[in-house]
Amino acid sequence: MFLFILKRLVQIVPVILGVTLVVFLIMQMVPGDPAVIMAGEGASKETINELREDLGLNRPLHEQYLSYIGNVFQGDLGNSLKNNQPVMDEIMVRLPITMELAFFSIMITIVLGLIAGIISAVRPYSFSDISVMVVALIGISLPSFWLGLLLMYVFSVKLQWLPVAGWDSTAHIILPAITLGAGGAAIVARMTRSSMLEVVGQDYIRTAKAKGLKGHVIIYKHALRNALIPVITVVGLQFGSLLGGTVLVESVFAINGIGRMIVDSIRTRDIPMVQGGVLVASLVFVFVNLLVDVMYRVFNKRIDLN
Amino acid sequence: MEKEVVLEVKNLKTHFISNKGTAKAVDGIDFVLRKGETLGIVGESGCGKSMTSLSILRLIPSPPGKIVDGQVLLKGQDLVKMSDEELRKIRGNRISMIFQEPMTSLNPVIPVGEQIAEALRLHQGLSKKQAWDRSVEMIGLVGIPSPEKRAKQEPFQLSGGMRQRIMIAMALACTPEVLIADEPTTALDVTIQAQILEIMKDLQKKIGMGIIFITHDLGVVAEMCDQVGVMYAGQIVEHQEAKNLFNNPLHPYTQGLIGSLPKLYEDQEELQIIEGTVPSPYDYPEGCRFAERCPFAQDICIQKQPNLIQFDENSKVRCWKYSDEWQDSLAKEVVAP
Repeated sequence: MFLFILKRLVQIVPVILGVTLVVFLIMQMVPGDPAVIMAGEGASKETINELREDLGLNRPLHEQYLSYIGNVFQGDLGNSLKNNQPVMDEIMVRLPITMELAFFSIMITIVLGLIAGIISAVRPYSFSDISVMVVALIGISLPSFWLGLLLMYVFSVKLQWLPVAGWDSTAHIILPAITLGAGGAAIVARMTRSSMLEVVGQDYIRTAKAKGLKGHVIIYKHALRNALIPVITVVGLQFGSLLGGTVLVESVFAINGIGRMIVDSIRTRDIPMVQGGVLVASLVFVFVNLLVDVMYRVFNKRIDLN
Repeated sequence: MEKEVVLEVKNLKTHFISNKGTAKAVDGIDFVLRKGETLGIVGESGCGKSMTSLSILRLIPSPPGKIVDGQVLLKGQDLVKMSDEELRKIRGNRISMIFQEPMTSLNPVIPVGEQIAEALRLHQGLSKKQAWDRSVEMIGLVGIPSPEKRAKQEPFQLSGGMRQRIMIAMALACTPEVLIADEPTTALDVTIQAQILEIMKDLQKKIGMGIIFITHDLGVVAEMCDQVGVMYAGQIVEHQEAKNLFNNPLHPYTQGLIGSLPKLYEDQEELQIIEGTVPSPYDYPEGCRFAERCPFAQDICIQKQPNLIQFDENSKVRCWKYSDEWQDSLAKEVVAP
């Protein structure tokens, strides 16, 4: 187990290289010169050239990349092109916000998804099953930015129960977390249902019944633990798309997280900020995947991680 | 003196109702199980023997399966009419089951000791510690070495033979009055098979439970059973004492089964076979269900279904050959041309 975790941590190095390289190249291909954007409209050619010189943008590409990556491994993500502040500082302020949002969203995904999936699976093809699955289908189909606006309209504007936007109190977390977690919850619900239905038909469930166990013991102790194994995979994958979703949801709800930082920085061609943001998001994703693999092992000792 | 009857099955009918029609998997089964005795139920695949055993504890997949008629009496209490809650208290406690597939019948993610202990806590009200100790004791009793260590393991760490022993330990933990063993040794190799049968016989002596032993293996019947019911197409066609079955099979189907066994001291070129196939449970013939394959079949066999008739004190047979009408039928045959 320890060896496995160590191996996975070493694998982070190529991930860092890959992610930074791809983002770096994409940002080079995107039209728009950061120096021009920074200098502002109507700036003279000399000012722009000077700026380019200062930022090191006139150096060859590979040199720019290598010096960047060298700094990354020393924990330096460079400075923002916009305000010359260290990217790391900016990320340290924003990361906790995004992590908080992601945490509550994934909780909604897991809790809501599992409950809905179990309700469905306990009485397949019943009214409750069909209603839950219809809601789940809608949940999967709704784009999150639209769901966010809808929730905002209903609960903040009309009912005035919750704040519209921002990130100041617990109440601020609710709508964005639902917006971000709903799609995942729907997918988890469907996965839990089909996985439970498969497990319930297994021989060992018949054994549990033949033992005279109570219905809820059969469901929660004997069926659910087995049914969860494929669900964990889905939750892990869901976390990835959830990180992507923060970009949209943070924009809709005006939350100053990493997602919004990346969007804003793309707009101003602030390459170090974009790279830093994407890198941090990737690292979070890698860690979550590691966690998922460890969870597998906890739920199913047959899986040999090495 | 006859021993006390623990389980009596009367006219049990389990049908499967689907778009394809009604499959009469179990179609009027009667038998009696006495304390400390072993009743074998033999028959080929699909004859309804497993469905009979599952019907006793109402474990048939439902829908589409349904017990449409009959009684299952455990010391006079009818399990068919009982509420789910009452039945639950009997399952695993007074009647328990061992299944055919030891590889899949244990929960893969729960330590085997816990799988035994949970029934003890539930039915016998033992504390966590007591149940665990008893569970370890049971694992030792079925002949698994170092039971303390094994109890903590999960099924994938155990061999097939050990898993089946765990199933037996689980089934017998609450000292049931009836044990239903549905082909418990079919999936195991022969040496393990013999050990498992030995353990079952041994524990039967200690606990005194009645065993219903479902199998298609006549050798196992000879080894294990006191009484035997031979099933064909959802019905019992012959009921005999096991010791007489091999020397004096009554029903043509039983005769065919025993004839198809290889014989040690005879020089046989080929094994005898029973021609034809089992009729579909969706569409049983009107007359005797075996008539089509029976070398003795007469008109009456095709026209009318025979009843299970008492042949002598200890045996019953469902065949026109042993009825009073048979001679008349033969006579007609001669006159008819």
